[in-house]
Amino acid sequence: MRIILDRIKYSRETKKDILFDNPYSYGKVNINNEKCNGCSKCIGECIVGAISIKDGKAIIDHDKCIYCGNCTQICDKAALEMVHDCKFCTLEQAGNELKQKIYKKFKRSLVLRSVDTGSCNACMLELAATQNTYYDISRFGVKFAASPRHSDGIVVTGPVTINMREALIKTYNAMPEPRLVIAVGACSLDGGIFKDGYGSVGKLGDIIPVDLYIPGCPPSPQAIVYGLLKLVDRI
Amino acid sequence: MEIELLKEELNILNSKLEIQIKNNNELYINTTSNEVKAVVELLLSKFKITFVGQFCSQKQIFTINIILSNRSQGYFIIVRYDTTDELVSLQDITYQGHLFEREIADLYGIKIIGGKDTRNIVKHEVWQKDVFPLRKEYAFGSKIKPANEADEYQFKKVSGSGGYQIPVGPVHAGIIEPGHFRFSAIGEPIENLEIRLMYKHKGIEKICENIDANKLNLVFERIAGESSAAYAECYALLVEKLMKWEISNEVKALRVVLLELERIYNYLDDIAGICVDVAYSYPAKRFNYFSEMIHQLCERVTGSRFSRNAIVPGGININFTSKHKDDILHTLGSIEKRLNNIIQATLSSVSFLDRIESTGVLYNKTATKLILTGVVGRASDIRYDVRKSFPYEIYKEIKTKANAELSGGVCERYNLKITEIKDAFEFIRKALSLIQADIPRTKKEVVIQEGNEAYAAVETVKGELVVYGQAGKNNMWNRIYFKTPSFTNWNGLTYAVSGEIVPDFPLCNKSFNMSYAENDR
Repeated sequence: MRIILDRIKYSRETKKDILFDNPYSYGKVNINNEKCNGCSKCIGECIVGAISIKDGKAIIDHDKCIYCGNCTQICDKAALEMVHDCKFCTLEQAGNELKQKIYKKFKRSLVLRSVDTGSCNACMLELAATQNTYYDISRFGVKFAASPRHSDGIVVTGPVTINMREALIKTYNAMPEPRLVIAVGACSLDGGIFKDGYGSVGKLGDIIPVDLYIPGCPPSPQAIVYGLLKLVDRI
Repeated sequence: MEIELLKEELNILNSKLEIQIKNNNELYINTTSNEVKAVVELLLSKFKITFVGQFCSQKQIFTINIILSNRSQGYFIIVRYDTTDELVSLQDITYQGHLFEREIADLYGIKIIGGKDTRNIVKHEVWQKDVFPLRKEYAFGSKIKPANEADEYQFKKVSGSGGYQIPVGPVHAGIIEPGHFRFSAIGEPIENLEIRLMYKHKGIEKICENIDANKLNLVFERIAGESSAAYAECYALLVEKLMKWEISNEVKALRVVLLELERIYNYLDDIAGICVDVAYSYPAKRFNYFSEMIHQLCERVTGSRFSRNAIVPGGININFTSKHKDDILHTLGSIEKRLNNIIQATLSSVSFLDRIESTGVLYNKTATKLILTGVVGRASDIRYDVRKSFPYEIYKEIKTKANAELSGGVCERYNLKITEIKDAFEFIRKALSLIQADIPRTKKEVVIQEGNEAYAAVETVKGELVVYGQAGKNNMWNRIYFKTPSFTNWNGLTYAVSGEIVPDFPLCNKSFNMSYAENDR
């Protein structure tokens, strides 16, 4: 009875426009080249070494950035600025040919398998959050399967640790072809903040080919949904 | 017994011990490998002292540190002795001592003397044989190479007719972290469950030794994503204890707000998980929705859905205005009534209660021996909460008693999590009432002095987190050790499920909901 009343009173809570602009989220750090004088203060502040100086101006490697925002605070010229838009992943990882193949095969639905190879669990929580009633990713045909045999691709979160390496390769090989690999989160691509740990074995790309990288630490559910929809060419 | 009294008492009992009090609530006892067992046994049996953990640190030679705590008075006792390559096993006086000893043996190459369980824990089969990565000689940045040289892990076996094993993992069916469960079952009921973890071991303790103390809060936050704020808080407490910084009451209150928001969304996810595993999906989906609302609230207040990079040593890294305050009060107010309604709906559903009542019972006696902490311990009537025993920030004024339940089943853990959510609502309101003005961003530079050491404790959503920090050269730490709550709490699950049927395991597991990431580090 309570449940029926609750349902009537609050009706549905799913966000219709899932890719709405969220002014509070974090996003890319942009550098204003006119203001930047190359003082290199921001380099010392960056924990993952994503910032370097080229021709007297700072540049940021967005594959490494963990979006903590410390560099924007230290800059006294206010040359670094964080854009509040989490939807910025690109499909550069996948080649053109593969892209066509993906679009053709997976346009209507995508069944994924999640493999955590050493993340801090935040990416996993955000992946799980894409399935809640607010984002409801399943309405776009994206589902998470229980077995790699039933899936079109795997979602890898976290740096690949030595103890998980074999399990990752086995899961990958258990999938039928063509198969996708989606790296979620800053440390999934090259180890990120855990890059120098003795337990992480190195780049994910050296072990299995990566098709899509969704940046963020952790990427918000919106960013994940955006990446997946982009992958199947729905945006 | 108060800390000074204990010091005097110990001096009378054994005049050879070197005893020292540091940072007001840490009692350091230096002893030798011959005497350590007698000293620990004396402390555990004669004084009301609890075993917390054990770890190794290295200067020229190795030092084994045994952490004990007095929960009623709120202080730590650290018994330590120097050794070159052997440690004295405490496995026969502490039930979970083997975990800590095996970890030391794997990472430092120190032999366990007199211990029954000496299997590898961190070292999986794929490791090289003679690498000890936490030793100072092992260069930072070098990697363990896959070589398949380590000994094979021996699981407990159940044999005889009708006995069989079910291996599960490390990759689980669902969006969960990796870990291996080995069920031994006879017929339907689980006879024995063995949990093998450390699949996610990245070597964070080594990373912490090689990062500037000013940036380390970012690494702390990434040890366990779900308790990001609690880990950042623990780092802040550790640094503030060493630097003797005083924090203003308003900042303290704001930190409590962030910590309690974290507690709310975690416990909402937990109780949603319990509902999912009972196949009661409507409340589960609503709880997940409320948790999403809290995540979004955190994002509006701190810029991160997990309150990351907000709590920093010496202050707070966000500009907090009255607009944020109203936002928090409004959001909490908008979900509170509806949440209570749905909780009532679950608790009045007979089929739901039938599944959770007297399932996965963990008796108080077992839980006490396993030194369980957090919700898991309190559900089995261990009245211990770090917020009460080692009060930090403004918990001294607002946290008056540790919530507890009696019989330690899934239902008790479910109820306790609900109580904690309700408490969190209250704490946030109390804390916000202390914040009258806007709080500007304050961040101080951390300069740690070589040789200083301290312990800090925080109640995360999973239980008691104790962090040890020893300052080293170049404004870096010489040793950071985490005694994470999941490290000891995981074994509680093995006792809770024994005798239950295999299909009830997910339910029991979800009611514990321990973190793999913080256990593996």
